[in-house]
Amino acid sequence: MVENRPILTFLTHAILIVGVLFLCFPVWMALVASTHGPGALSQSPIPLWFGDQAWENYSQLLAGGLPEAGGVPIGMMMFNSLIMALVITFGKIVISILSAYAIVYFRFPFRMGFFWMIFITLMLPVEVRILPTFDVVVKMGLLNTYAGLTIPLIASATATFLFRQFFLTIPDELVEAARIDRAGPIRFFKDILLPLSRTNIAALFIILFIYGWNQYLWPLLITTDESLYTVVMGIQRMVNSGEALPVWHYIMGTAVLAMIPPVLVVVLMQKLFVKGLVESEK
Amino acid sequence: MATLNIKSLGKTYPGGVTAVSDVNADIADGEFIVLVGPSGCGKSTILRMIAGLEGITTGDLQIGERRVNDLEPGERDIAMVFQNYALYPHMSVRGNMEYGLKNEGLPKDQIATRIAEAARTLRLEEYLDRKPAQLSGGQRQRVAMGRAIVRDPKVFLFDEPLSNLDAKLRTQLRAELKALHQRLGATFIYVTHDQVEAMSLADRIIIMNAGRVEQIGTPMDLYLRPASRFVADFIGSPAMNVVEGTVTEDRRGLLVDGSRDIRFAGEIPASAGAKVAMGIRPEHLSLDATGAAQFHLEVDFVEQLGADTVVHGKVSGTSVPLAVRLSGVQQHASGEVLELGCGADQLHLFDLSSGQRLN
Repeated sequence: MVENRPILTFLTHAILIVGVLFLCFPVWMALVASTHGPGALSQSPIPLWFGDQAWENYSQLLAGGLPEAGGVPIGMMMFNSLIMALVITFGKIVISILSAYAIVYFRFPFRMGFFWMIFITLMLPVEVRILPTFDVVVKMGLLNTYAGLTIPLIASATATFLFRQFFLTIPDELVEAARIDRAGPIRFFKDILLPLSRTNIAALFIILFIYGWNQYLWPLLITTDESLYTVVMGIQRMVNSGEALPVWHYIMGTAVLAMIPPVLVVVLMQKLFVKGLVESEK
Repeated sequence: MATLNIKSLGKTYPGGVTAVSDVNADIADGEFIVLVGPSGCGKSTILRMIAGLEGITTGDLQIGERRVNDLEPGERDIAMVFQNYALYPHMSVRGNMEYGLKNEGLPKDQIATRIAEAARTLRLEEYLDRKPAQLSGGQRQRVAMGRAIVRDPKVFLFDEPLSNLDAKLRTQLRAELKALHQRLGATFIYVTHDQVEAMSLADRIIIMNAGRVEQIGTPMDLYLRPASRFVADFIGSPAMNVVEGTVTEDRRGLLVDGSRDIRFAGEIPASAGAKVAMGIRPEHLSLDATGAAQFHLEVDFVEQLGADTVVHGKVSGTSVPLAVRLSGVQQHASGEVLELGCGADQLHLFDLSSGQRLN
């Protein structure tokens, strides 16, 4: 629909701008709040422009950590989050691409049965199976370990399904040509399937990285050791710091820091991401 | 380069559907064999069984001296060109051609020599670093052929390689294929549903129908002495005229729709009262009333093609359609009655129920 009426142009832009403001305001507030001293945010009016405490706040957060939050440095928590997000992401991609490969290209007994078993787990997100999973992790002695933090979150029906659908679009003749070219199953996977799945892997990487980074409930349950805290948990712990007033300038600073890695991943991989979602390269 | 022996080859799918049964053929070294037939006749299945992409249910397959029934496709020393090219989309033209050689573990300098040679033969030199997506259909098909050539296989397999191309390119690539075959001197097995392709390329044609071989022979064998009504129908354009009727008591005529217009010069090899189908190619009918079969044609309309004139009409006194191809420009009005005849060799008689040739 191409209509060129100034009123409509104005209206649509106005709506868009209002929407953008709504979306951006909290981020703006977090940025502003992280540059003020302790008192400024507890009194009205709340400042809407940057203060002069940015350097002090951020260096305190990154280096020393907060006594109110158990004194764990933010850097440590960021590192834990990064480990968790990366292990979950790589684990999910590796496992799901391999299982999709098995399901699509190999004829073994109960193949469809296995597929449906994987598919059905789509209906069971972490929150639903959290008690039995926790039980298993406890019995395996994985509390307060990176393994306990990541492994239960690795199995992924969504990614398996996505790869399966992509593999099904690859023409059979390509597999046959590869067989004639003496490529065995592993060579075919490495030389043909992996390069063709490149954009899908990139798209999944972004989605899964953010999923892993934002995990909240599971790390909260599985870690009691402060050296394993993740940054998303850390923010929550700062807010609930007993009787003392919430240290909003630090909390907001942590939030800003926690936002950086996912934003970086999206910005850097956006091109591949969009490509992976809209086209399946033939 | 090698011979290929097919002994009572059969394919039955697990569901019980039989795609191919009892195929026998001895293919000589360097022969160009075309498998032809309507879709679903099993020609591609045979090719895929030779390639090893489809399991063999019964029978034996030998390439050279070796029984290859249970070998993997990569171990059979064959190369295949697919209808949709099946190029690896993420690899360059060079990458596509060298992939099989790399997997064989050939030294790098040999790979380079072979690719350079194939690229020169196929005029692909300037495209070696492009991706398949940047090539036209004809170029892609040439890359697919290049991928086959560099492997220097004993047998080349082609699965309808020209079907995805437009008519002009098809003719051009057909000529290139023929030249390629002569240059390489390798055994080619080629599947197509296009009888013109089959006639122009093949040393011998294997014509298939419903999973069985109808006839194996040179293109001229098939054209001049079709073994069955199916072959007669399939080969030749415009299609052969087929008139169904009953042999008269004196065995010198054919009773069609109650008309006794068709007369034969001698007794035909069928018993009186037998139901037969008589076939005569349009180009074998002439306007003289002597010959092995004589009858009249009521003209309906005339197609002027320049070099030829095709007259369409009906066998006199019946509603059986018939076409005659006359050379040069000829004028005939609708309703005119022409006297027609044909030579003894050009008259084909088939049993009506079995379709087998009688004379």
